[in-house]
Amino acid sequence: MGLREAVGRFVFDGAVVGLGGQNIGRCAMATVHEIIRQGKRDLTLVGCNLSISMDLLVGADLVRRCEGGSGNLERFGSTFCWRRKVQSGEIEMEDFSHLGMVSRFLAGEMGLPFMPTKSLLGSDILVHKAPSTVKKYEIIENPWNPGEAVVLLPALNPDVSIIHVQKSDSMGNVIIGGFTTHEPEMVRASRNTIVTCEEIIESRQIRSDPERTTLPHIYISAVVHQPWGAHPTSTYRYYDFDAEHLRFYQECARAGGEQVKAYLDRFVFGSESFQDYLEKVGGKERLLQLEKAMKRLCASKGENP
Amino acid sequence: MTVGLTRSEHGSYDLDELMIIEAARHIRNGDVVMVGTGLPMVATTLAMKTHAPELVAVIESGPIDPIIMQTPISVSDPRAMHEAARLGSLREVLGCVLQRGLVDIGFIGGAQIDQFGNINSTVIGDYRSPKVRLPGSGGANDIACHARRLLIIVSHEKRRFPLKCDYVTSPGYLNGPGARQRAGLKVLTPTITVVTNLVVMETDAETGLFCVTKLMPGVDLDAVYGNTGFRPGVASTLEEVAPPSDRDLETLREEVDPDGVYVKRGKSH
Repeated sequence: MGLREAVGRFVFDGAVVGLGGQNIGRCAMATVHEIIRQGKRDLTLVGCNLSISMDLLVGADLVRRCEGGSGNLERFGSTFCWRRKVQSGEIEMEDFSHLGMVSRFLAGEMGLPFMPTKSLLGSDILVHKAPSTVKKYEIIENPWNPGEAVVLLPALNPDVSIIHVQKSDSMGNVIIGGFTTHEPEMVRASRNTIVTCEEIIESRQIRSDPERTTLPHIYISAVVHQPWGAHPTSTYRYYDFDAEHLRFYQECARAGGEQVKAYLDRFVFGSESFQDYLEKVGGKERLLQLEKAMKRLCASKGENP
Repeated sequence: MTVGLTRSEHGSYDLDELMIIEAARHIRNGDVVMVGTGLPMVATTLAMKTHAPELVAVIESGPIDPIIMQTPISVSDPRAMHEAARLGSLREVLGCVLQRGLVDIGFIGGAQIDQFGNINSTVIGDYRSPKVRLPGSGGANDIACHARRLLIIVSHEKRRFPLKCDYVTSPGYLNGPGARQRAGLKVLTPTITVVTNLVVMETDAETGLFCVTKLMPGVDLDAVYGNTGFRPGVASTLEEVAPPSDRDLETLREEVDPDGVYVKRGKSH
């Protein structure tokens, strides 16, 4: 299945979409581009750190609501489209902490209605809620320790999650390298998951070393081979983040309006596929630099890239 | 507030540098440190390269006990992942290490810190119609709830130290003594230490309020009061922050922040 078909089949208007990756690492950018080209709207975006993948969808006016622990690109600044639209009230943000969000996915992946946590107590995260949230949390007394408050957070089961990983076989047996953030819990909680990957490997490779499988195929709806699919964010052991392009995107996002539109026209709508986009951001030469930068990082530690 | 230059016996350094070096000193060798992005990552990298090579860094995206050679610019930076004991998941780090109670020091920044050590990283102004929407909690709420010691590093500006935060993202002593217990938090009297380019302040476990414990060289209490939206107490043993050693300065300038990303170069050397 190609990315066009996968997005057409599993992402729909009004869907709750789980975003993989974090900040400048392994955001599912190729899939985000395709969602924008297909104009899937009224989306609710969920995850822990919501980064450039979220910001681009917000900039394309496809988002109604976000639920997460944070929106930013760390050293590269805020997620400016998101910030502007949260400030103006055009989109709503439901705030949790990162542990709060992953606890909700944990409930979802285990078929439970909610999950307790000892975070959030006493904070304003429990004081305020987004306008369309019916019930954000409940505080109960620990049945085994009368008097002790415990927060219950509702399970979260996204309609579809999108992640970009290092390796998968064609069935969807996925190997995530490096940090895995909230992805294992989120994917197992999701009704469908679209995976893009750097490499498709043989199934016998998975099955000869199955303890390395991060997520087995039963959770995966579509696998698409898309090298560089996280650009401009990094993929551990494959390529570093593209600071130059991130800064360029941030300039456009910060300026907003016409500049966001121009960015989308040039890089997303003006590209048939992610491959076209990759040519526009510098093609092979630029990508090899990012690959080399990652190799240098790995080699300096005696690691096998 | 602009930071002045201070002369050490060995040449000049500025207080932005000493702030990082002083914050690093609060990490003991062997501490389990949950590290956030930015200056906390810089100071932790410095500590690891100097007096605390055995500190165990945990980073929310999943790395547990990496060896940090280059300062990572993000919690998802590959630079935070090398030679880790394990590259796990966010649930593992925030749940099975932090909430489980295994973190000695939570090390974070924040846009606003109030008199009770509450931290705001969510919004300036009203939550419903924000003047500026900030990133939000990230892992900060979790860290402030569960770490036994909380280390905060920020550049000292009056607007960063209001009497009361616009929004409490991460709990300090909330509205005073006993409030953490009433809220149901597990760590009742965390030690909250703030290191700035003017001062070191620490919360008093009895009152939940900040006390000035150290002043940066050349800084007096009036400068602190003038740049703080509340009036912190003063410790009976008020000290001056020790000047940096040659090794600290060299390591910071040449290894931790060689490109001057965190401390602007050319001011003092």
